[in-house]
Amino acid sequence: MSSKSDAKQEREIKIVGFLCNWCSYGGADTAGVCRFRQPTDLRIIRIPCTGRIDPLMIVKSLIQGADGVLVSGCHPNDCHYAVGNFYARRRMEVLKRFLPYMGFQSERFRYTWVSASEGQIWQQVVTDFSETIHRLGPNPGLHQTVDSAPAVSWF
Amino acid sequence: MDDKTNALREHVKGIFSNLELVLGWEPGYDPLHTRPFYVRTESDIDRLTANCLSVHNLTRYLAKSMNAVDPAADGRKIGVCVKGCDSRSLVALIQEKFVSRDRVYVIGLPCRGTLDARRIRALVPDPARIRSVNAEGDELVVETDQGISRFALDRAIARKCLQCRYPNPVIHDVLIGDPVTPRLKIDAENPSVAAVEALSLEDRLLFWENQLDRCIRCFACRNACPLCVCQNHCIMETRMPKWLTQYRNMNEKFMFHMIHALHLAGRCTECGECERVCPVGIPVALIKEKINAIIYEMLDYESGIDPEAVPPLLTFSPKETGI
Amino acid sequence: MSGKIYVAHDALSGLLDDLSKKFRVWIPQMMDQASGHIAFGVYAPGKKPELTRRSRLSPKKILFPSTDTLFKFTHVKDPKDPVRYTIDLKESFDNGPTLVFGARPCDTRGFQTFDQVFLKGQYKDVYYERRRQNTLFATLVCQDSDTACFCSSVGSGPADMTGSDMAVIPIEGGYVIEGLTDAGRKLVEASGSAPSPEQAAEAEQIKQKTAAMKVGEDDLTGYADDLTRRFTDMDFWREQVSPCITCGICTWVCPTCYCFSITDEASGMSGERMRSWDSCMFYLYTLEARGHNPRPTKMERYRNRVGHKFSYFPKKYDGMVSCCGCGRCIRTCPVSIDIRKVVKELKETADDRA
Repeated sequence: MSSKSDAKQEREIKIVGFLCNWCSYGGADTAGVCRFRQPTDLRIIRIPCTGRIDPLMIVKSLIQGADGVLVSGCHPNDCHYAVGNFYARRRMEVLKRFLPYMGFQSERFRYTWVSASEGQIWQQVVTDFSETIHRLGPNPGLHQTVDSAPAVSWF
Repeated sequence: MDDKTNALREHVKGIFSNLELVLGWEPGYDPLHTRPFYVRTESDIDRLTANCLSVHNLTRYLAKSMNAVDPAADGRKIGVCVKGCDSRSLVALIQEKFVSRDRVYVIGLPCRGTLDARRIRALVPDPARIRSVNAEGDELVVETDQGISRFALDRAIARKCLQCRYPNPVIHDVLIGDPVTPRLKIDAENPSVAAVEALSLEDRLLFWENQLDRCIRCFACRNACPLCVCQNHCIMETRMPKWLTQYRNMNEKFMFHMIHALHLAGRCTECGECERVCPVGIPVALIKEKINAIIYEMLDYESGIDPEAVPPLLTFSPKETGI
Repeated sequence: MSGKIYVAHDALSGLLDDLSKKFRVWIPQMMDQASGHIAFGVYAPGKKPELTRRSRLSPKKILFPSTDTLFKFTHVKDPKDPVRYTIDLKESFDNGPTLVFGARPCDTRGFQTFDQVFLKGQYKDVYYERRRQNTLFATLVCQDSDTACFCSSVGSGPADMTGSDMAVIPIEGGYVIEGLTDAGRKLVEASGSAPSPEQAAEAEQIKQKTAAMKVGEDDLTGYADDLTRRFTDMDFWREQVSPCITCGICTWVCPTCYCFSITDEASGMSGERMRSWDSCMFYLYTLEARGHNPRPTKMERYRNRVGHKFSYFPKKYDGMVSCCGCGRCIRTCPVSIDIRKVVKELKETADDRA
């Protein structure tokens, strides 16, 4: 995507964050308590565990116009529910590799593991991801009509 | 598939007393169509056909239209005719326990390819004049009221058949016909997926938007899929939570296909029915084929091969690294 | 003037360009070359009408869109007392002058069914009515029937111009377009020059010849009571309906299916009330709030579909069969269920099946 200058970014960037209640939400809380500063584009949705995340939630967010989607959970082997993030790890990776095939920029989706005490890491993750999304620019969404499209032949 | 009608009828006649019913095919409304057929009595057996027009995946009825899990009171089984691709769907149903292996009698039919009705129209200018079509080896023999024409079979078969890796049923109680050499090796790259990936990212989006724009949200792809067993209670039609609204815009159509494809991640067996039934000709199977390729690359797994395997997104491995 | 004009093949786009200055012109178009999908779309210069092959989808959506906004609503808070609010409603009508060019008799006949239900009787459907009043139909005399067509079996035919304002007759080198109603004649006479006597004679001959053709061997108009007789014969319905996958394609492509659902799509303080197509083939169609479903299986639902078209509708509307014989349901059905076969076999008695 072409990078847009700050002057052209009329609407604010919205990044949706799915954070697991135990580790990552705690980590974000720790970052707050320690007064670490990070960009304010992230809108957090608290979920019990990353194992609860349906990849379709990420897809729906992107289609509806979210500029970025961040998923964060407990480190593997440290899941509060023991195995939730093991499921999540497979689903998130499949989704990450699938998005570019349909024409979505996979950089707009990121999944990480941040534990409750890692406030500093949380700050880094949010800052880094926000910078990536700002660089990519607002999500253009889907074209509502298509006048011309490339043809692909497989016969 | 070469014509196996007689051999199939003979076999079913011999075994029918042990079977409650047999799922097969019978001639349809014109020489280019057959239709699924339930053989319920001995006199029905002579209506069976099995040839290049036997496109339907009959395993779809096992999980959705009958109880194929519990044994019958009299111990009789449900017979089902499967081509190579269909047999994988059957194994996938067994994997997910929607069908019990003991409840079905599997009649396997090795297959060289089934005809794509749309491609036939391009080959024969006036399809209304067709009297019969038959696959003989690598050729398609078409009889019209003007005589006989022969075409290379590859010009008439479905897209999925051109890249077939499993022409021989992976599960069967009997095999009717000789095994067929696969067109592609099991780990071969999917040529149609590669064709889409050759486009730039922007072009890929435009390609899919252009294709999905035609979607009329008829739900045929979902209903034809053997593995979409939630059919009457599907989240695409529920309003609580409201995944999809009634709007027919690009966002909704795109989301519909993402839901369908992702719900089949790690489960789809590439039987191609979704693409065949689409009334507006969208290559929907192509979306799922990419997810299958990802799972094969990531987890070395293919759905519908091993009846004991658990679909990978329904399980986990604590020792996985690199993710 | 004769009320007829001649348009050569290469002059057709010129004619459509002119017409699209006065109307929104809908034509059958090739939507996607790779899949061969033909459907109705709005004409724009450069788009080529597809008049020698049938369309997959019917032109039903022109008068009865698949999603139709009935009105928009906004909750407006009372500034003095924010707990109270009024609802602001904005009607939504989309009914500019429209011309459907190149539909076939079966397509136009579909609207005859709609007219009975939506226009006659005590309550008129205002949305349909306004669109209908503003739409003219230029219908092809059809030469392209195939193994699934059966318009003659349901009281119509390949040259049936009921409900059409103009007939478009394919002749050597082009088309003769003949005005049939006052509005049609007026439009035709303003749009081109008269055909030569030979062309007019050829057109007339083709029209007569086509009108004499029988598309579909049977007469399917008299089965209303047979359905009632066979209503509870579940073995019959099981035999006919077993392959069905209840996908609903038959109802989406059908020119005469008119069932709809009304939903409110809102987010926040505003939204739209929408009407959208519904299908009697779905489980949800008759699912009641407490969980009971009077048509729990596909057998009851398909019985209802056939019954509606060939029995309930004719009984209510003077014997008119709701089906128009276009054959789209047969062609697009994933399992090739043939509604003609189901109806014909209604006449067999239980003894015949022994």
